[in-house]
Amino acid sequence: MEKAKISASQLFILMVLFELGSALLVPLAIDAKQDAWLAILLGMVFSFVLLLVYHKLYTYYPNLLPTEYMQRILGKVLGTVLAFVYILYFMYDASRVLRDFGEMLLTFAYPDTPLFIANALLMLVIIYTIRKGIEVISRSGELLFIFMYVLAVAGFILIVSSGLIHFKNLQPILEEGLSPVLKVVFTQTLYFPFTEVIVFTMILPYLDNPKKAKVTMLCATGLSGINLIITMLINVCVLGVDLTARSQYPLLSTIESIQVANFLERLDVFFMLALIITIFFKICVLFYAAVVGTASLFKIKSPSRLSYPLGLIILFLSITIASNLQEHNHEGLKVAMFVIHIPLLGIIPPFLLLVAFFKDRKKHGKNTFN
Amino acid sequence: MKRKGVFLLLILTMTLFLTSCWSKKELTDLAIVAAMGIDKTKDGRYHLTLQIINPGNVAGIQGGGGGTQSPPITIYSASGDNLVEASRRASGSISRRLYYAHTNLMVVGEELAKEEGINTLVDAFDRDPEFRNTSTIVIANHSTAADLVKTLTPVDKIPANKVLKTLEFTERKWGENIKTSLQEVMKSLESPGRGTVVSGFRLVGNPQQAQKLDNLQESAPGATLQASGIAVLKQGKLVDWLYGKSARGTVWILDKIQGTDININWGGRKQAIAYQTVRQKTSVSAQVKNGKPHISVHTRVEGDIGDMEVPVDITNPKVITKIEQSVRKEIKKELKTAVERAQKNKTDILGFGEVVHRTRPNQFKKFKTEWNDVYFPKLDVDITVEAYVRRAGLRNKSFLSGLKENQK
Repeated sequence: MEKAKISASQLFILMVLFELGSALLVPLAIDAKQDAWLAILLGMVFSFVLLLVYHKLYTYYPNLLPTEYMQRILGKVLGTVLAFVYILYFMYDASRVLRDFGEMLLTFAYPDTPLFIANALLMLVIIYTIRKGIEVISRSGELLFIFMYVLAVAGFILIVSSGLIHFKNLQPILEEGLSPVLKVVFTQTLYFPFTEVIVFTMILPYLDNPKKAKVTMLCATGLSGINLIITMLINVCVLGVDLTARSQYPLLSTIESIQVANFLERLDVFFMLALIITIFFKICVLFYAAVVGTASLFKIKSPSRLSYPLGLIILFLSITIASNLQEHNHEGLKVAMFVIHIPLLGIIPPFLLLVAFFKDRKKHGKNTFN
Repeated sequence: MKRKGVFLLLILTMTLFLTSCWSKKELTDLAIVAAMGIDKTKDGRYHLTLQIINPGNVAGIQGGGGGTQSPPITIYSASGDNLVEASRRASGSISRRLYYAHTNLMVVGEELAKEEGINTLVDAFDRDPEFRNTSTIVIANHSTAADLVKTLTPVDKIPANKVLKTLEFTERKWGENIKTSLQEVMKSLESPGRGTVVSGFRLVGNPQQAQKLDNLQESAPGATLQASGIAVLKQGKLVDWLYGKSARGTVWILDKIQGTDININWGGRKQAIAYQTVRQKTSVSAQVKNGKPHISVHTRVEGDIGDMEVPVDITNPKVITKIEQSVRKEIKKELKTAVERAQKNKTDILGFGEVVHRTRPNQFKKFKTEWNDVYFPKLDVDITVEAYVRRAGLRNKSFLSGLKENQK
């Protein structure tokens, strides 16, 4: 663990940017059709429960990284294996997001550029940032967060003023009842993007004021959830359900539809900038967690040295995890969701908490007896 | 020393990355496609006609040069089994890279729209990142897309712009035409049990004459482009053209009308008073009664009196009320024509099915599959119109009233 401190507001900003990350990019929860917004809302609400679980674990071991307290909770061998699994998950997730970034860039703007070049350029910047440590990441977050929201508000005003919003696209609400919405909630939105913030448990020990951790986590998830709901509402209102579902990048199509006063149009660059900022931070956080986790697990003195080898692994992983975009998306939504997200984000943390709870009680119990 | 060497190497490799010349597109290497026309060849392939801007000549003509001008656009065409093939084949005859980001107009030939429909065309445009689906789509009325795209136009030098602006202004002033973007057309084609409308455009005059620069050197060009009719598409195929009242009624029910002129009969003279609409709002609602769908259309119009060809004393509010009533009747008649025409075509271009789907989703499931053929043609449609006269220009009584009074 490096000696660094971040403030609660910096954590908040990092979490918001992280959760917007690639979730802004894709047709999130579109399996729930026009009720996608409802699925995101419910996903957000249910994710609060898991967030509280993560936070409770943190309060048991406020100064330890999860990779360390897993060993305390489960014992040396099992804990090490589990910690290693989480590190692999962080790296895999980082490479997925990097792939998302590359695919988006290539599909839309650079059709002739090899994927490797696009990914490598972003990865170089990220490796450099990781070497500088968490404080630099969070400070640059503060700077770009403002920029990002200026873009978002400007984009929002332009969409509204070009008269593209047709609220009737949202009707009928709950056409097939609540069950398809709940299905989407429990197989998608709960995990991606909301409880993916489990990676922040690796960063919580750096927080200068541990008391604020809970409020910050919940507020950040709330804000990003609201942003995602607004985004998806706008997408469906502008494009309609079918077109949103068919779009690889619905937000891009929405922004392309902006036509204000015959000259304010084709503002795709808004979308690109917002996406590059959020994706940059998402990869940074995941990658940073992998770096500090590896360092603590293998007792490496200076974690920043790990950024080159791990960065290269993420880069190559991002190229090799899928041979085409369709395969990549299928893996993300159908395979990784059940094999990785649900066990690692939904099942193991509550289990850890349960064990930690009993261990804690046992310890306290002994104390009272003596 | 070693550090410096590494640093130097880094800077050298960086210059390679920072040149930003990967797949560069120089302006002089681009052929900017302003409009594209799609027809069907005799052997069933797509024939693509591309209207490419001649940048030098667009500015040149405005300067009023001599007789040695060349036209502001150049036409290239190619055929292929699908649109991508045709577009790539066209590169054999163009010295530049075709650039579709500024293609604001796509024209579909009438024959193609009738026989094969536009459904098969849409995907290529929708998928391509360069082409924007906010582009306007037009169906060539009584001509091929190629002839329409080839026509040179006065005033607006680039014919694609002329077509777009004409549609825009006529939609605003007259309302018998409608400007439809590819995205809108796609959305309504996809919607369950819905037909769609697409704007029509027509070449009036001789197609051979239309392509010549001589055409522009006459004050009344022999061949011009003209907005004409609204194409009705059922499952992507052209089934009918709407003109006149049924066209305007359709635009009205779709709530796309922005301004128009309604004439009413007065004092024994036909079409004596012109009522110019200023703002209007149409809403459609649906009920299901005894398992049968029921639609009510409500429209509210505000407007001014623009012309009175009979002496009318409009200083009397009762007269105004009477005028309002006749305007209501007139509008109602028009909307009814539109509904009846759509029902005759068995094509729900008015989006009634969508309204039922939105408000009565469970009942719509029953109607869905047979909406166009069974339920829509027999639909009970209840039309109510509210019309108000707000102002009457700079004068109150007509000039004719003045004449009449003084001659007594």
